[in-house]
Order: sequence, then structure tokens, then C-alpha cells
Amino acid sequence: MLLEASGLTKSFGGVTAIADLDFQVPAGLVYAVIGPNGAGKTTLFNLLSGIYRPDEGRLRFAGEDLGGRQPYQIARLGLARTFQNLQIFFNLSVLENVMVGAHARGCQGMVAALLRTPAMRREERQIRAWAWEALDFCGLGELAARPASALPYGALKRLEVARALAAQPRLLLMDEPAAGLNDTETLAMRDLIGRLRDQGITVLLVEHHMGLVMRVSDRILVLDYGSRLAEGTPAEIRANPQVIAAYLGGEVHYAVE
Amino acid sequence: MKRLRGWWLLVALLIALPLLFPGNYYVTVVGASALLHAILAVGLNLLMGYAGQISLGHAAFFGLGAYSSAILTTRYGVNPWLALGAGLVLAGGVAYLIARPVLRLKGHYLAMATLGFGIIVHILLVQTGGLTGGPDGIGGIPTLSLFGWAIDSDARWYGVLAATLLILVLGALNLMDSRSGRALGAIHGAEVAAGMMGIDTAAAKTAVFVLAALTAGLAGSLFAHQQAFVSPDSFNFFVSIELVTMVVLGGIASTWGAILGAVILTFLPELLVVFEDYEVLIFGAILMLIMIFLPQGIVGGLADLWARRQGAAAPTDPPKAGPAPRGLAPASDPVSQDAA
Repeated sequence: MLLEASGLTKSFGGVTAIADLDFQVPAGLVYAVIGPNGAGKTTLFNLLSGIYRPDEGRLRFAGEDLGGRQPYQIARLGLARTFQNLQIFFNLSVLENVMVGAHARGCQGMVAALLRTPAMRREERQIRAWAWEALDFCGLGELAARPASALPYGALKRLEVARALAAQPRLLLMDEPAAGLNDTETLAMRDLIGRLRDQGITVLLVEHHMGLVMRVSDRILVLDYGSRLAEGTPAEIRANPQVIAAYLGGEVHYAVE
Repeated sequence: MKRLRGWWLLVALLIALPLLFPGNYYVTVVGASALLHAILAVGLNLLMGYAGQISLGHAAFFGLGAYSSAILTTRYGVNPWLALGAGLVLAGGVAYLIARPVLRLKGHYLAMATLGFGIIVHILLVQTGGLTGGPDGIGGIPTLSLFGWAIDSDARWYGVLAATLLILVLGALNLMDSRSGRALGAIHGAEVAAGMMGIDTAAAKTAVFVLAALTAGLAGSLFAHQQAFVSPDSFNFFVSIELVTMVVLGGIASTWGAILGAVILTFLPELLVVFEDYEVLIFGAILMLIMIFLPQGIVGGLADLWARRQGAAAPTDPPKAGPAPRGLAPASDPVSQDAA
């Protein structure tokens, strides 16, 4: 298992956001987490990425215990994420944003930068090449030189992915990558998620767009009030009466398409 | 080399000025003062402009450097270069010690903490009279000499300060275009996301805080030897504010902006002397007008105007994500959207 959560619990001032949650994400899959608003999906992502500390329970990623680790330490283990509300570096160019994504793959520090040593320049070329790779993969190559602040929303969503991809992650957490996208852009995002999996990257996906989730996911975890309501393949989830009753409701026909 | 075009221009300018106007008061005296301010502003801009962390106590590090040189050379007869090194160690060391606790704070709280630090250092300079000479300061500081060549004239000090500024600007430009520099930019733009890119944000902020303090400490030592006299008033709260004003006025996040801001704030009071009683009034009005019409500072504002002219020729998609947070606006909190 690439990612394992056991007994994971987190509450905020008496409100339990995640309650005694267990789940496992095998490597190589697209694993979706769905649930109504307030089900604890973003809390789960913030726990996984070290922004929050769990009250109880354990998280293991790639054989390492994530307990007590800072976000940057977790990122260096090979866990990258995108943000639901864009967290783009708007003061940098598109290419620089993605080069920051490759930060953990480099090692040259501030003194080397001040002196612009040969080793630093070599690494700089390598980081640039990695960034270009990620930009092209996400179809952003033509926008590389633009300031990030000049990009339209749809491109910024892909920039979030490119930046995370430049870290060469083993696990990529995607927090509502299709939110706010139009139909064409959503299709392109679906295609992008599929290609990420083809690259061997495990994707953990939080998404409200049921059409996208059902098409792209290998397994789905359904959360309700921070607990596990169901887990299984898209077909199993669609057929699960509890899920239909609690969450999908009228949407089930749409989800089946 | 395109990357360093601006730097070579600055080299040419700083060499040409004293040759074109030899012995001119505005070049070798006011100009040298502008160079010293530029050194301080470029250093502070590493912290404020690159990393987006405000400091209202930068003059304290300037003072630590100056007083180290003054005390060690006059009271203990230490070699001025060793004293300068000690000043760097003191400024850098103090910065390192306070960086972690202080830089955990953001926005107004960081401003308050650095302000407090600056005031504490100023009070120490005034109150520990046995060591620092109190409000009267310390005089008779020997000048520096370089390979037996005493830096004892205005023109020579101009040369030393110009060379120091050029080296510092080269370092700042190198830093901006590097993994460490982008990490600082990322912290400025969206600190939580920077952490998720594997950037140790606390360590990066500490490093740039120490770097900025070292440049201020160096400026302080040079200042003490240049003036041969130091007193606490050169390092008080108003000096810190003036340095922040230089960085913001010229255009935050730009090394050129910091230099331009330092030059303007040094020369403007000199030129406004003709207005006598109204000098300060006009000075304030000019600052207000610049910030009203060029809120991103002079360099940032002009760059925007230029980009807009270019953009009119080749229209691009309108940005939907709002204006770039070039200033000190705190990044939005990605955690707060969580539906707990």
C-alpha cells in the first residue's frame, strides 16, 4: 500500500471533521474521495499533507510514518498536492512556478546561488528542463514566459498540476481539479488525470464532478460526516443503496450517464 | 550577457559619474550617501521584496555593525577589518537568534515585532553609555585602509561604496535567478503552497533575514569608518522607516527599485533645501503622489505601463485571478476553505 490511514480522527472545537477513518490507497491507481460538502474531504487532504495534525490515528506513506512531519518533509517523501482555491505564486512567471515545484529535486543553496557556481548552474539547467517537461505534459508550454497573474482560470488549474508534477511525486493529491472549469476544460483535465496514472503516478482525487469521478477513478471512497460510508469500484459505488440514499440521490442517473 | 545587462549599466554609470563631475559635491558626498542607502535598501529588499517579510527594525542591524566597528577600534584598538568582521558576526548572529521566533509572525504582527526589536537596540545604544558613549556617540573612529592605501577622501569612499554596492547587486541578481531565490518568491506568493513544494519555509526565511542583516551590518561598519563618528540617532526608528520607504517607493521586489528609491530619498531633501520651511511638506507630498499614481513603486509602475503598451499590441486573456500580490499583501489562507 502506498498510503494507509488507520483510526484517523480530527475535530475542530467539538465538530468532528474526520472520525476514526481507515482506508488504503494502492500504488498506481486513481483513488477518488467523494462526499457531500462538509464531509471532511479537504480536512483529509490537509491531514495528509501535514498542514493539520491528526488528533488520533496514524498515516503511513510509502512505508514512512507521517506523524509529526512538517509539510515540506512530507513533500520530500514524494507527496505533492494541488489546491482547491488556487495557491499559485502570482509574483512569479509560469515557468518559475513550475521550477519551484521541482525545488525538492535540487540541493544547491543560497551561497551557491550568490556565487553562481558551476554546480549551481548545472542544477539550474536541470530544474529548467524538468519544469519544461511538466509544462508540456500539461499543455502549458506556450504560456511558460507569461506572468502567472496573466493566465486565465482554466490554465491556472493546469498550472497547479504542472507545478505538483515537476516534483516527480509518487502520490498526487488533487483537490477539486475540475471545480470552476467548463465542459471542454473538464474533459482536458480528465484526460490529464488519466495520463498521470499512465506515468505511474498514484492520484488521490477529491472532486464534485461525478461524471469525471466515475470515468477516471479506479476506486472511490465515500465520506459522510468524516466517516467511511462506502468504498469500492465506481460500479460498486453506483449500486450501493446507502450511497444513493445519503449522497448521490437525484444525481445517480447523471452519474450513470 | 542579457541577464546582467542592467548590472553592467550600473557599473558604467558609477564609473562615469565621478569622471564626468570630478570633485562634485553631489557625486562624492551626496552620491556616497545614496550609495550607502542603496546598499541598505538592496539588502532589505532581499527580505521585503523577494521573500515578502516586512522589517521595521532594519536600522538596528545597521547600528550593530557601526557600533561594533566604533567600539572595537576606538576602545580596544582592534584592527578595523577585524572589527568589521566582528560587526558582521554580531549582526548576522543576532538576526539568526531572533529570526525563528519573529518570522513565525505575519503581516502586522511581524511589523510590530521588528519595530520592537529596532527600538530595543536603539535604547541599548543610548543607555549603555559606558560602552557606546550614550547619546553623545563615539568619535575618532579611524579610517579603513586597503593594502596600505587609506580610504581617506570623499572620492575614495565613493569608490569603496560603489564597489560594495555593485558586488551586492550582483549577488542579489544571482539570487533572484536561482532555486533559493524562487523559494523566497514562492514564500512571498503563497507560503503554504511553498511548503508543499518541499521548501523549508522557516529555514529559508531565516537565511534571507540573516543575509539582509549582514548587508546592513556591513553598511554600518563602512558608515562608522566613513563618518569617523557614530551616534544612536543614525540608527533609530525613523531610519528603519526611511529604508522601508526606499524599498516601497522604488518598487518592491526589484533590486533596481531599491536603488532608485535610495537615490531619490537621498537627493530629494538636498534638492528641496531651496524651499526652506516648506521642504518637509513638499517632500511628503512628492512621496504621496508617487504612491498614489504608481502604487507598485516607480520601477514596478513603469514596468506595468510598458507591459500595457505592449499588451495593447498583442491582447492576452484577461487575468481572472486578480492582480499579482507584488506588495506585502498576505497570501490567502488555503486552509480556511475547509468545510469542517
